[in-house]
Amino acid sequence: MSLNGALNIGASALTTAQAAMQVTGNNISNLGNANYSREVADITDLPSTEIQPGVYMGTGVDLSSIQRQVDESLNSRLNSAMSDYQSANTTQTYSGQIETIFNALGSQNLQTQMTTFTNDWSQLANDPTSTSQRQVVIQDGQSLAQDFNSLGSQLDSVQTSIGSQLNSLATNATQLAQQIATLNQQIATSQGAGGEDNQLLDQRDATIQQLAQLVNVQTVNQGNGTVNVYIGSEPLVVGTTSDGLTVQQGATSSGQPSYSLAFTSDGGTVQATSGQLGATLTAQTQLNTVQQQLNSLAGGLIFGLNSIYSSGQGLNGYTTVTGTNQVQDPTAVLNSSAAGLPFQPVNGSFVVTTTNTQTGLSSSTLVPVNLTGQPTDTTLNSLTASLNAIPTVQATIQGGKLTIASTDPNVQISFSQDSSHVLAALGINTFFQGSDANSIAVNSVAASNPNLLAAAQNGDPGDNTNALAIANFPSTLQSTLGNQSWTDSYNAMIGGIATTSAQAISDTQSTQDIQQTLQSQQQSVSGVNIDTETVHMLQQQRSYQGAAMFISTVNQMMTALMQITL
Amino acid sequence: MSVLPIGLSNVSSLMQANLVSQNINSEQAQLLKVENELSTGQAISTPSDNPSAAAMIMQLQQTLNTQQTYNDTINTASAQLSETDTGLGNLTTLLQQAQQIASADVGSDVTETQRQSDVAVVQSLYNQALSIANQQYNGQYLFGGATGDSAPFVESNGVVQFVGSSQTLENEVDDGISVSFQANGAQVFGSLSSGVTGSADITPSLTAQTRLSDVGGAGSDGIEPGSIQLSNGTVTKTVDFSSASSIGDVVNLINQAGVGGITASITGQGLTLTGALTDNITVTGTTAQDLGIATASGGEGAGNPDVGSSLNPRVTLLTPLSTLDNGSGIDNSGLTITNGQLSKTITWSPTGTVQDMLNAINGAGLGVQAEINSAGTGINILNASQGTSLSVGENGGQTAADLGLQTLSLSTPLSQLNNGQGVQTAGGATPDFQITARDGSTFQISVSSATTVADVINEINAATGGKVTASLATTGSGIVLTDSSGGAGTLSVTPLNASDAANELGLNVTASGNTLTGADVGAPTSNGVFGDLQALMNGLQSGDQDAITAAGGNIQNDTNTVIAVRGQTGAVEQELTRQQTDLQEQGTATQSLLSQLQDVDMTTAVTQFQTLQTALQASYETAADTLQTSLLNFLI
Repeated sequence: MSLNGALNIGASALTTAQAAMQVTGNNISNLGNANYSREVADITDLPSTEIQPGVYMGTGVDLSSIQRQVDESLNSRLNSAMSDYQSANTTQTYSGQIETIFNALGSQNLQTQMTTFTNDWSQLANDPTSTSQRQVVIQDGQSLAQDFNSLGSQLDSVQTSIGSQLNSLATNATQLAQQIATLNQQIATSQGAGGEDNQLLDQRDATIQQLAQLVNVQTVNQGNGTVNVYIGSEPLVVGTTSDGLTVQQGATSSGQPSYSLAFTSDGGTVQATSGQLGATLTAQTQLNTVQQQLNSLAGGLIFGLNSIYSSGQGLNGYTTVTGTNQVQDPTAVLNSSAAGLPFQPVNGSFVVTTTNTQTGLSSSTLVPVNLTGQPTDTTLNSLTASLNAIPTVQATIQGGKLTIASTDPNVQISFSQDSSHVLAALGINTFFQGSDANSIAVNSVAASNPNLLAAAQNGDPGDNTNALAIANFPSTLQSTLGNQSWTDSYNAMIGGIATTSAQAISDTQSTQDIQQTLQSQQQSVSGVNIDTETVHMLQQQRSYQGAAMFISTVNQMMTALMQITL
Repeated sequence: MSVLPIGLSNVSSLMQANLVSQNINSEQAQLLKVENELSTGQAISTPSDNPSAAAMIMQLQQTLNTQQTYNDTINTASAQLSETDTGLGNLTTLLQQAQQIASADVGSDVTETQRQSDVAVVQSLYNQALSIANQQYNGQYLFGGATGDSAPFVESNGVVQFVGSSQTLENEVDDGISVSFQANGAQVFGSLSSGVTGSADITPSLTAQTRLSDVGGAGSDGIEPGSIQLSNGTVTKTVDFSSASSIGDVVNLINQAGVGGITASITGQGLTLTGALTDNITVTGTTAQDLGIATASGGEGAGNPDVGSSLNPRVTLLTPLSTLDNGSGIDNSGLTITNGQLSKTITWSPTGTVQDMLNAINGAGLGVQAEINSAGTGINILNASQGTSLSVGENGGQTAADLGLQTLSLSTPLSQLNNGQGVQTAGGATPDFQITARDGSTFQISVSSATTVADVINEINAATGGKVTASLATTGSGIVLTDSSGGAGTLSVTPLNASDAANELGLNVTASGNTLTGADVGAPTSNGVFGDLQALMNGLQSGDQDAITAAGGNIQNDTNTVIAVRGQTGAVEQELTRQQTDLQEQGTATQSLLSQLQDVDMTTAVTQFQTLQTALQASYETAADTLQTSLLNFLI
């Protein structure tokens, strides 16, 4: 035992207190850093020496390591909770957007516009010959069509924003994966050198957490300090190499753009079920469903209302009328896919009436539309031939569209009793044209001539039977809407949107709770408490002061010894 | 708000700060929601707030909208009905005035001057009535029905013709309840009330094109196109007719099914199924009954055909003339129609349809409306003109007979002649008139025992011994006497014994050569407001007291009709008022339901607002305290 030894003990205490103080300082300085994991200085006493047989004496203190306070399993649960919360939150954002577009409980929405439109028909039934009321019907019909157009394009723009959002999220995820791979490399190097760089570990945990917010990931620690990251069962980061995520654009069966997520390396499907990416993909599916529902509502309105309308007559007949819908192949049976009509006619017949405006006399001809699956079934060509057999009527096909014209300037043509819906399918004597929410519009023929608006069913200009039938359209069962009424279909669509949205709101709430709980648990392990650190600081201060005093005392002892010697 | 696990070993300062801000955030969000509820007054502003309540809210709002539509309709209908009521009231007053004139101008003490001056008064009443008949409300003719915007009553040559529609417009005033908001002009003014009703059943035969909707079905209650079970004893198949729209489709579907050798064909008004010798045809199902081809449970027996019953096809505008009367067709020689002063021969193409025939009649400008009767079994010709007699006869063939439209036929009872006045005879065997043939021979004839036109013709032919032959006109309508005596004198008919029979059989006319064409005394004369007023004027002008009295009586009938229609209109108006009250009550109830669902409960909301405010304040204070407290404050 020597005084020099004692000095060394003091020196070790000074060094250790300084180092511990640095750790505390680092903790305090990262008080506001969410990614920081609290560090604890691990202080151990130095190995003792045997000063005489059987008597051992301590040799001081040393900072053996700096421990990073983390709970890996808690971190991984937190990551998954974050994925879920981001997923629910993103879903809520999108379903909220869709819900807002429809504004179903507002004072102006698709339903109120529909009511205004059918109410107009009811008012027209009160005064069928009124030109001004006819104008009102056309104008409100146009507003209804525009409502559909605007809803369609608003949904389309959500679709576009989903596409660009997916792209930016995927890019982001790819970059994060690269960062993780780079960090893996650095950590492996530092571990290979025998040390552990806590800052790099913190940074990697933070990066993984960011990635977890984008997509559901699992991490698997490797022995060499690296971490592999998987999405579902597919690897995104393996050791020091990373894959990327790419957005692939396709189309749904109804022609809407649809996006899917794939691995950059092999194009394999990414099983993104959660996180912002997962939720955005789900939102896309929901959006496609709503788009389909809206299109089916538009289609149901176009074909359903036209089917009633096309059996009606206006104040005067047509001298010429051209269908709005194109038949791809005039030799194909009209309800076949080769004919390519947006709406299918059925077996039945309709009546063409030619009225001589000079004599006021009408002549009616029954035109059969045979669609019973026989070889003699009606094609556009055979329909044209049947129409041409009617005196003073000339039917021609131009660009797949049927034109029915009168060959006598005094003869006007009108239509009635169309049980085959072929007129509605071909777009002849119809109110709406188009086939879906984006294309629906008031038939330009009806729009430009209010007198053609078909309020009558029996040929009398003052008859209101057709107007009444159309006024009842929204509550009538429609085969094109799966035997539901238009109003019920609309309510079902809004109900679906509302339920999804309400579910998303409640999911957001509950996943947020889970995330917060886990976060507080994680913080209780890894977070810094200023008071604790202050106490540590005081401890280390006192420890340093004590060591200094000890050295000073040893020094005095040595001085005393020196004086004796001198 | 999240529930944090207590007993944490280490309280992170960062977490403390986060927690505080999360809590404040969450409370502020809740406060914002309540604030929004308070300012909008609605607890549910988007469907996701409460999907099930939102569904009900939407339903209720739609109900309210529908009720609003009904309300609008009732307002329009009520206004139009009340205008109609005023018109009918005015019409009643002026008809009563005409009636008073009619009764005042009968009697010996009435001077010629007074009658002539009353003619002018009646003329003015007539003009007023015509102006009421063509009265417009809001651009619509009150009494025009579904005709649209042309005047429903047109006057030409002193005859008023109804060119409107007797279909009155209806609209819905509640779910499934439609009311007519027009009075039937034809009924009010007595047009179309008389005419010739086709007595012949000309139900057509079926064709492949005949639509299922145009046949009555074997049970006369339509055809429900469901499916049938078709069996030949060994093979049974279900034939589905849901896609069938015509009889041809039905036949094709049965033939396509290919059950044994069973094939279907159209026979007359029904269907017949025939099979091979071994086929025992069995057909079951309600659709089979509708189609008239249902068989007994054991089937028809091997080799026997299944002859279906009649499907009662209806006569429609599209029915080909050749298929009428179960395929026998009708004679297409045409008709001779005389309405008042107007007379025309009507012909049409035999290859045409019923519509072509009706067009020919209606387009002749005779002031008549030919139509298919409501049962779809025959043709009626209605007189749209007032005060004219409508005679329908042959054009050399037997078209009128085939259609049952002859105004004078062999079977016409004498009691129906002269607008139901009948024929007044001398009675007993006393001769009613004398026929003088051209050779000077005379024949005295009594028709007292005759009950039909045929009896009269027989009496004449029996009495004249072949010198003068009586028959029905082959062109036009009436009894024709043909002289074959070979003399050069004049064929004539002279009344005897003060009998009016010659006159009332239409025979008191001048002959031309060998032929004496009698007038059509079976032609019904149409009444109506204008016809009767015109008759009154004519009576006043000529001083014919009987005519004045008759016109007065008819005007009385017209008045009663108008009063009855006015009563109906009033009843509808009342019904509308009741309906409107009902709608208002329903509306209030719906509104209150809606308000219960959607509107915010102010008391709860305000209380909640205050609670949240307090909570937020508490959070602020806690935050301030927690975040400021630190050990560091106590050092140094």
